Amino acid sequence: MSTPIANSAETPHSRAKAAALPATGSFKARLRRDWPLLAMTAPAVLLLLVFHYVPTLGNVMAFQDYNPFMGKNAFEAFAKSEWIGIGNFLMLFEDPAFWDAFRNTLTITMFQLVFFFPLPILLAILLNGVASAKLRSFIQSVVYLPHFFSWVLVITFFVQMLGGAGLLAQELRGHGLEPWEIMSNPDAFIVLVTAEAVWKDVGWGSIVFLAALAAIDPTLYEAAAVDGATRWRRLWHITLPGIRPVILLLLILRLGDALSVGFEQYLLQREAVGRQAAEVLDTYVYYQAILPQQWGLGAAAGLFKAVVGLVLILSANRLAHAMGEQGVYSKS
Amino acid sequence: MSTSRRQFIVGAGASVASLGALRCSGGCSAAKRPGGSFTNAAQSAALVPAYEPIELVKPDFPAEGPLPAGFLKYPQQEFVQVIHEKPGRGGPEITSMTAHWGPTPPGLGRNAFVAAVNDALGVTVNPSCQDGMTFGNKLSAILGARDVPDLLSVPSWEVDNIPRFSQAVKALFADLSPHLQGDAVKNYPMLATLPTSAWRNCVWGERLAAVPFPTNGPFPWALFYRKDLLDQLDVELPKNIEEFHRLGKELTRPEKGVWAFSDVSDMVEMYFRCPHAQGGWRKKPGGGLEFKYETEEYREAVAFSARLFKDGLVHPDLVASKGGDSKQLFMSGRVLMLQDGMGAWQPMQSEQQKVTQGFNMQPLPVFAADGGTPLTWGGGTTPIFYTFVKDGLSKERTEELLRVLNWCAAPFGSKENLLAENGVEGKHFTRGADNAPMRTELGREEIATQFALLGGRAPVSVGGGDTPNYLPDLLAYSRDAVKYLGENPFEGIKIELPPTYSKTITTTQDKIRDLVRGRRPLSDLDEIVEEWRRMGGDAGRDFLEKALAANGR
Repeated sequence: MSTPIANSAETPHSRAKAAALPATGSFKARLRRDWPLLAMTAPAVLLLLVFHYVPTLGNVMAFQDYNPFMGKNAFEAFAKSEWIGIGNFLMLFEDPAFWDAFRNTLTITMFQLVFFFPLPILLAILLNGVASAKLRSFIQSVVYLPHFFSWVLVITFFVQMLGGAGLLAQELRGHGLEPWEIMSNPDAFIVLVTAEAVWKDVGWGSIVFLAALAAIDPTLYEAAAVDGATRWRRLWHITLPGIRPVILLLLILRLGDALSVGFEQYLLQREAVGRQAAEVLDTYVYYQAILPQQWGLGAAAGLFKAVVGLVLILSANRLAHAMGEQGVYSKS
Repeated sequence: MSTSRRQFIVGAGASVASLGALRCSGGCSAAKRPGGSFTNAAQSAALVPAYEPIELVKPDFPAEGPLPAGFLKYPQQEFVQVIHEKPGRGGPEITSMTAHWGPTPPGLGRNAFVAAVNDALGVTVNPSCQDGMTFGNKLSAILGARDVPDLLSVPSWEVDNIPRFSQAVKALFADLSPHLQGDAVKNYPMLATLPTSAWRNCVWGERLAAVPFPTNGPFPWALFYRKDLLDQLDVELPKNIEEFHRLGKELTRPEKGVWAFSDVSDMVEMYFRCPHAQGGWRKKPGGGLEFKYETEEYREAVAFSARLFKDGLVHPDLVASKGGDSKQLFMSGRVLMLQDGMGAWQPMQSEQQKVTQGFNMQPLPVFAADGGTPLTWGGGTTPIFYTFVKDGLSKERTEELLRVLNWCAAPFGSKENLLAENGVEGKHFTRGADNAPMRTELGREEIATQFALLGGRAPVSVGGGDTPNYLPDLLAYSRDAVKYLGENPFEGIKIELPPTYSKTITTTQDKIRDLVRGRRPLSDLDEIVEEWRRMGGDAGRDFLEKALAANGR
């Protein structure tokens, strides 16, 4: 985990040096020299090919009225399904339910960008400040653990605690109070899902930032302390600038994923609060395309998501460059 | 018949297209294709296998109309072996998939029950039991991927939700007509014991495509109540919908963690006498068909269901999450009234009485919302499950698979049936005082629907054992409820709904759920129904009216 971070924090100088390694000799000579490296990457390339590039070809069904039962096998089904041009996209864009899902997804992304994204950074800084290594690893274990729970478990846990028949509600009733509707309130759904996500993933999200914090040269702190800088000043002038590239990197990646906010979490709670509040693009695809077997429509929605994501990543990356950061990648 | 239908539907597509040159809504792209089909009741009669029942043990009472024959006590005599030649002929492993409502049993290699049945079959079946609640999702995926097991058992109600199901049948499953049609079925004598009315539903695209698991009772739903707990409270059973609501209020004690109802919307619709045939259709007095959405009864039922939610009479866990387990809540007494299938009764009674002393669940006698004559849903001959055989296998292999289905279809009173349903004596079950098999711990863990749901069986009801009151209670309820069965104008016609219509059912139910849960005002119902008509409801009506007309009804 820490290696790519260290790489991204490298100076442009060292990168230039790596790129300048001479590509000497013929193809054959280079092959002889580099074959162990190629062999080592081969499994990953194969994995990418089989599970990413080949399925990507299936996107052609976005332009078809794909019928899996045509012909004798899946390939014939592709060949024989009717081409309908942008029909699926028109259908998608004319469906008000799609725009509801689109709006919900974006709202949730924005909300979580503000109320979820900074939390792992804060947690990482806090943890970094804990002096006792024993205590720190204990806290880390505790906050990482929920990440490994499935969403079914997390939501069951929330229902048992905060649901209408849950611990809180029964406790309130025991004191003669009318419990407050938490799990089935469409208006507060966005807060609920964010709370669930924070509970589950805030610890996990802090790992990357902790690694970045560890890479900051401790002598900087010592020098600053000698110069009389307070804790806040050190945080502001050393810590935050030190992890800024990582923060930006993750922010850009998150933006590229803006139209994905998760699936199971919404699927499981959709009935409780209704389609209006809980339908996100992924559940829309599931209910409107996969279940009624409108594969073309589903592929069109997926392609739309991918294009929007690409545009967001490119523009965020450009913005990062403008701010003098490396971003996810750079041309050079 | 089929030409005119095609023309009709193409015509409908053209008129949609002409409304706006570039507009292509859900209706349009699907309307171009011929959607749905129906059989002629007389035509499909020629395809079905001959019927030759076998009576191995004499029932205490014979079949009465839609009620199957029954045994008040478990038969005392030794069961007989009916299949003397092992079905397996050295073929490779057979994969199968069935729906199962309960914990997933251990798989092949870790399951002594499966091993015992495989031993009797002489071929290895590798069964997969899939959660019945989400079976449709799984089904949709495997059909789309064209990745089906050798034997696939499909709940009949999932079929209507899958557009192009008939195309899937044609592309993926074997034509069984040459093997089973007419007297050909005599090679598989146990399949010949399945009733003709059930076989008639197995015809897709003018060929016999599946083996039915015939229905063993006419009622799709019942509302069970905890008689043991209600008796303690000394309450009266409701005779109309207001009493029902009052009872719900009385039973709901949130401070004790007790709520009256699970989601009972279907039963509420029935109490309000909403039509049910083919998903909710009935003939209008003046001719033509109307769907339940368009009736006053339905409007009242939705309003009432919404009231149940609004008044907080439904358990909050079931409101809050898809994962809520209504059966578990009912068994533990946190929900007192549960809507479930009739099939849930006996196993639940048998299981829970071991945990809860005096546990007694009973179906609430049917009533009408206004206290008048009730309407009971059901009475159809649609099988509960269909078992399909994978297409593209050799003739020998297909025959081997059919022999396995034949083995599984051995009727009650045979050694084969006892093994498929209860496992090995002394290991998976022991005999009670009245000779009835009682499952052991291992039996409860290992036996699910692996073999019981493959290939069907002649329907019977068997009481006795650890549920001595089950059959008398079932009979009393059924004899009362059967009087009010609504008529089904589509009886005997095998209907494959048009894809556009299938799709509207799910999306519209989703919207109506918003009304029932109080997230949209009830006045939106008109708008929702209008959308439903436009998106495929009217097309469905035309299609079904044509199906009736073609059958002279």
